[in-house]
Amino acid sequence: MRLFLLGVSHQTAPVDLREKLDFSSRDVGAAVEALASRQTAAESVVLSTCNRSEIYVAAEDSERTRVEIVDFLSSYHSLPADVFVPHLFARDDSAVVQHLFRVAAGLDSIVVGEPQVLGQVKQAYQVAAERHCVGPLLTKLFQSSFGVGKRVRTETTLGEGAVSIGFAAVALARKIFGRLEGRQVLVIGAGEISTLAAQHLRSQGVGEIVVTSRTMAHAQTLADTVSGRAVPWDGLAGALFSADIVITATGSQRPILTRDIVAAATGRRRPGPLFIVDLAVPRDVDAAVGEIEQVFLYNVDDLQTVVHENVSKRGNEIARAEAIVNEEVSRFTAWRRSRSVVPTVVALRQRFETIRQGEMQRLQAKLAGLSPEARERVDEVTRLMVEKLLLDPTEQLKSLPDQDTQVAYTEMVNRLFRLRAGHASETEADDTPASSNLPATRPRHQ
Amino acid sequence: MNLIPLCLYAAATLAYGWHFAKREPTVGRAATTLLLFAALAHTFVIGMQTMEVRHVPFANPSRAVSTFVWLLAMAYLYLELTTDERAMGVFILPIVVGLQAIPTVYPGVENADPVLDSPWFWIHVSSLLFAYATFAIAGVLGLTYVLQFKEIKKKHLGYFYTRLPSLLTLDDMNARAIALGWVCLSVGVAAGVWWTLQARTVSPDDPNLQAMSWSDPKVFMAGLTWLVYSFAILARRTLGWTGRRAAWLAALGFAFVLLNFLPVSYFVTTSHTFD
Repeated sequence: MRLFLLGVSHQTAPVDLREKLDFSSRDVGAAVEALASRQTAAESVVLSTCNRSEIYVAAEDSERTRVEIVDFLSSYHSLPADVFVPHLFARDDSAVVQHLFRVAAGLDSIVVGEPQVLGQVKQAYQVAAERHCVGPLLTKLFQSSFGVGKRVRTETTLGEGAVSIGFAAVALARKIFGRLEGRQVLVIGAGEISTLAAQHLRSQGVGEIVVTSRTMAHAQTLADTVSGRAVPWDGLAGALFSADIVITATGSQRPILTRDIVAAATGRRRPGPLFIVDLAVPRDVDAAVGEIEQVFLYNVDDLQTVVHENVSKRGNEIARAEAIVNEEVSRFTAWRRSRSVVPTVVALRQRFETIRQGEMQRLQAKLAGLSPEARERVDEVTRLMVEKLLLDPTEQLKSLPDQDTQVAYTEMVNRLFRLRAGHASETEADDTPASSNLPATRPRHQ
Repeated sequence: MNLIPLCLYAAATLAYGWHFAKREPTVGRAATTLLLFAALAHTFVIGMQTMEVRHVPFANPSRAVSTFVWLLAMAYLYLELTTDERAMGVFILPIVVGLQAIPTVYPGVENADPVLDSPWFWIHVSSLLFAYATFAIAGVLGLTYVLQFKEIKKKHLGYFYTRLPSLLTLDDMNARAIALGWVCLSVGVAAGVWWTLQARTVSPDDPNLQAMSWSDPKVFMAGLTWLVYSFAILARRTLGWTGRRAAWLAALGFAFVLLNFLPVSYFVTTSHTFD
């Protein structure tokens, strides 16, 4: 059984194509079921976020699986294959592990270290598990990826510090005011930047948003969008008086807020900090405003500097996060390798057990004279003997360092003991003989 | 006997420092647990001393320092457990350790003068010690406010920015601490004046009571401290002195408190020597 991944991401496909191949706006559960119903792969998970649509499968034949998945994508999204095939990327086996671990760690995101993706990976697995589309291999893979995400978050500072201007401004506002609930916001200007900023602040749960603009109608439109209140341009000073946070982004060529205007407003207002974010170029706020005691003035460049510092701090952490990913990939690979010898181990045990049972059967007549307790003891002793004899070979086989040695050793064991384990698939067998009764195709996740 | 709490306070200080630098939640919890154990051990020590001298030990300056440290640790623990904010620990704990070293090195003997045998005296001392503990916290809050303010104002978001609480939270906690401390300080001073007047009628020849006037450095400093904090509260309400100005006032006030509590108590005063 091999791991296989096919998909598009922000690194391989433009946004319009990603939108067309997006599963998240539709029912991901239905998609994963539709894929499973094709019997292409034994296990499958569909991971769909705004930056990626990826299909993870465990299957025997990767080439056939690739063709099937392309066909599935084409029919599910009603899109000709040649539109998206050039943008698809494929990964095989340990590259799949590496990729998923990097995704879960936030290393493959547009904003490196963003935390949402781990939740989305968990969600994707959950949806597939609920529909019994995953088995032991993808379960182990995804659960390991959650561990990687958690380790990166706790052992590095990759996710710390805002890396966009909007988030940097909100993070600063939180460091000044603590909670943003109930904070009065004044938005000066009603253009695109003001709108985005106002919407962002609204989503952060601020109190009243007051909008002012030279054109009252524009102010009113923005105010309506963010459930705020529009005030006329000449009411600016009054609005400034009661504001905690001021966002300004007008097209004015001269500063709108001078030191005198702001000082007059802060002199009369209730004491407390005033946070002014000047998103306009050229600037709307005179730099001298920042000298007023309780005024914190940040312009686009200042915020950009904060963002750059955070990005470079994250950069320092990327190497640490990659190291964690690599460590976990090795661990996962070791686990898989140990599983590839499982069929041989199971067959070996079965062989020994058959011999033991046969001998016990043969001696049945001679043992008839013994008491039931003594017969039980003989049975137990022979069983323990077999188990002890097999303990070291089992451990040794599982801990072999590389694939080639493992193949050579399992082949040798198969020959020495006339086993026919090579035909068994790894998902069909486990350490215990009982679990070798799992179905040969589409194992169900319990 | 004060050594065990001192060692535990020192261990807690290291843990708080480690937690502040690395921000590992498990280390933070360990720090709080260590501080809890230190405070418990200290409670035991003070309990033993109370049983020994039949009153809370604070007639002797060293014992009073120990009791003050205990109150400070308790007040800080209360603050931490109610706000879930551990960043202050790294600033408070060094004060705790530094002050606790004094009773450990100079244990002092609690020979309570019979003239102290009045409930007003105990109200006086316990109110003042509690006020001082609150002022210590206010002072540290002020200091951290200034650090945080500086980083945000200068647009250099560095080490303290990520570790300290928000400016408004610090300012708000500072205002509350000062208000509470001021009430205790006022009660303590009033109880002290009342007790002196009463005690003078009972023991008119007591040299301590004779020296009790505004010209005594300790009394003078206490008056000055009261004025600083009264001004801090008044300025916040009427002049809008919040934020950095309030923070500096809190730090200044605590400097007065420390000055009065240690050098003045040990070396200068002639009125407050009852041991």
